[in-house]
Amino acid sequence: MTSSSPLLSVRDLEISFRTGGREIPVVRDLSFDLSAGETLGIVGESGCGKSITALSLIGLVPSPPGRVSKGQILLNGEDIVTAGEDRLTRIRGNEISMVFQEPMTSLNPVYTVGEQIAETARAHFGSSRAEAWDRAIEMLKLVGIPSPEQRAHNYPHQLSGGMRQRVMIAIALVCEPKVLIADEPTTALDVTVQAQIFDLFRELQRKIKAAIILITHDIGVVAQMCDRVMVMYAGRKIEEGPVRSFIRDPRHPYTRGLISCIPKLSRDPSDTPEPLFEIPGVVPSPADLAELKGCAFAPRCNRAINECQLHSPALTPLGSDRAVACLRQEEIPA
Amino acid sequence: MSEISALSVSDLKVHFPVGGGKVVHAVDGISFDIPAGVAFGLVGESGSGKTTAAMACARLNDATDGTIRLGGDDITHLDGDQMRQARRDIQVVFQDPYASLNPRERAGAIVRRPMDLMGIGTPKEREDRVDELFATVGLRAEQKALFPHQFSGGQRQRIGIARALATRPKLIVCDEPVSALDVAIQAQILNLLGRLKAELGLSYLFISHDLGVVQHLCDKIAVMYLGQIVEIGSRSAIFRRPMHPYTMALISAVPTLEAGMDAGMRLKGDPPSPISPPEGCRFAGRCQFAQDRCRQQSPVLSGDPDGQRVACFRARDPEVAALRDKLTSTPA
Repeated sequence: MTSSSPLLSVRDLEISFRTGGREIPVVRDLSFDLSAGETLGIVGESGCGKSITALSLIGLVPSPPGRVSKGQILLNGEDIVTAGEDRLTRIRGNEISMVFQEPMTSLNPVYTVGEQIAETARAHFGSSRAEAWDRAIEMLKLVGIPSPEQRAHNYPHQLSGGMRQRVMIAIALVCEPKVLIADEPTTALDVTVQAQIFDLFRELQRKIKAAIILITHDIGVVAQMCDRVMVMYAGRKIEEGPVRSFIRDPRHPYTRGLISCIPKLSRDPSDTPEPLFEIPGVVPSPADLAELKGCAFAPRCNRAINECQLHSPALTPLGSDRAVACLRQEEIPA
Repeated sequence: MSEISALSVSDLKVHFPVGGGKVVHAVDGISFDIPAGVAFGLVGESGSGKTTAAMACARLNDATDGTIRLGGDDITHLDGDQMRQARRDIQVVFQDPYASLNPRERAGAIVRRPMDLMGIGTPKEREDRVDELFATVGLRAEQKALFPHQFSGGQRQRIGIARALATRPKLIVCDEPVSALDVAIQAQILNLLGRLKAELGLSYLFISHDLGVVQHLCDKIAVMYLGQIVEIGSRSAIFRRPMHPYTMALISAVPTLEAGMDAGMRLKGDPPSPISPPEGCRFAGRCQFAQDRCRQQSPVLSGDPDGQRVACFRARDPEVAALRDKLTSTPA
């Protein structure tokens, strides 16, 4: 932890969606900090609120029906929630940028990739067309696209998935943002390309001291890339801590489940693998949650007791740098 | 081998004309055997031809050349009712459980459909079989009346598996069956597939880009690159001692929990075009060990015919061996 104030500070965030005449929260009581140069991983299954949290950080919660219904998102002390659209346009790209999961649907099919990168540079730096074009080529080179002068004239469909994702990253980084949010940036890519993209992230982080928020369902990716991890379940943060403790000593039964249910690559695989650990059932919908009194994970939890059905456990500090929201975490053996 | 393989593929080629006299060599001469009760994994990057090969085995696209034998019978050129009857023994579970179920059919009818089409059993027997299948895959009988959109992703994949099991096939082609699912659901489906294999003696032709998943489920593994098999062997052989530099690079790229199997190998660039594959070894352009010979001659699979085989001139050279040791030895 640095002594200086964090770059990004989220305080008691609640995001709600209006549906069927009711406003239902999909993210609740969410607070976290992010320092310069740090990589924070957000993990959890689909429907736990990871992506909508990311969108809220750049003021992109689809509204209506959604809105930030409570809390603050402070970027260098300035609240993004109350910022106007003009101000948000300045913030996006310059201060915070985002890389989405699907590079094909996030790029404009009718402009060349060079134009799309240059447009971002022009909008943010007010550079001339020629300057912006040079900058675009420089960025393509930086993200490791071979013969960037030619590639800049290509349309997205002429590039492979890995190259498209690199173009997305080039767009996200052209303005050297302080915070980069990457929502499943490599899920659609082969592992070989994924490894290249992550090398690129590390290099850029070293160069411009960017903070990265990495949303992923891949625990292996978290272990390789992140300094700190936040686990979300049903719209809440249920565990947070340094990546080492997250992997070696997860405290929340959901975190433990997530780590043990994935098949792990081994140097010395058994000829008769044991069945994988299963987390039964599925994530409850936000509408179901509104009815639920106790811990949202209790119905799927193999350690739930009666009390878990009655009270929703608060996030409790554990040592100096960890927190967990589970009534039974003390009793769970390490 | 005296025993008849569940599936035996020899010199399979699948080429697609793309106009202008050009041809995509999607699958370019692959051979493998899947013994009964064995899960066989095909791995490789996207574009390596693994899905095309699997779909050709299920006769969902046509082989340009080569032979596909299902339980000893040549099915390469069957059509019409003969092929439909052959499909009793080979069924497919698809990647996308949303797209592979008819949204306007009820779950029970979806699972019953293969039996209807192949004229298996009486209507009563088919209904009983559907009940049995729902129980087998962990769905409740009353869910037969629901439509696909009323199920979660994992449940939809269970419907897809039940449908594949309906005709009591000997072999199921699984095309990335868990890659569209959340991690927690993925474990449920992988365990189901593992259990079904043990209980029913099924064979799988299993396609996945996820080496962790393949290692967990598959007994035998073939690594494909640009339409060809570059290495083939048992689970333990492939992971304890990967011979081909491409296999090593694939393993090295997988992010793992602890200090992983990462020898720091990074493949540069993308695979070359399957329209005009390069001369010599197709991997040579991305291989850190490539020499002149690799660019001129094509290596063929060699090694123990029933064990690990590799198509690489340099697989046994000290330089490659040194990196292999780094990849497979436990870090201090």
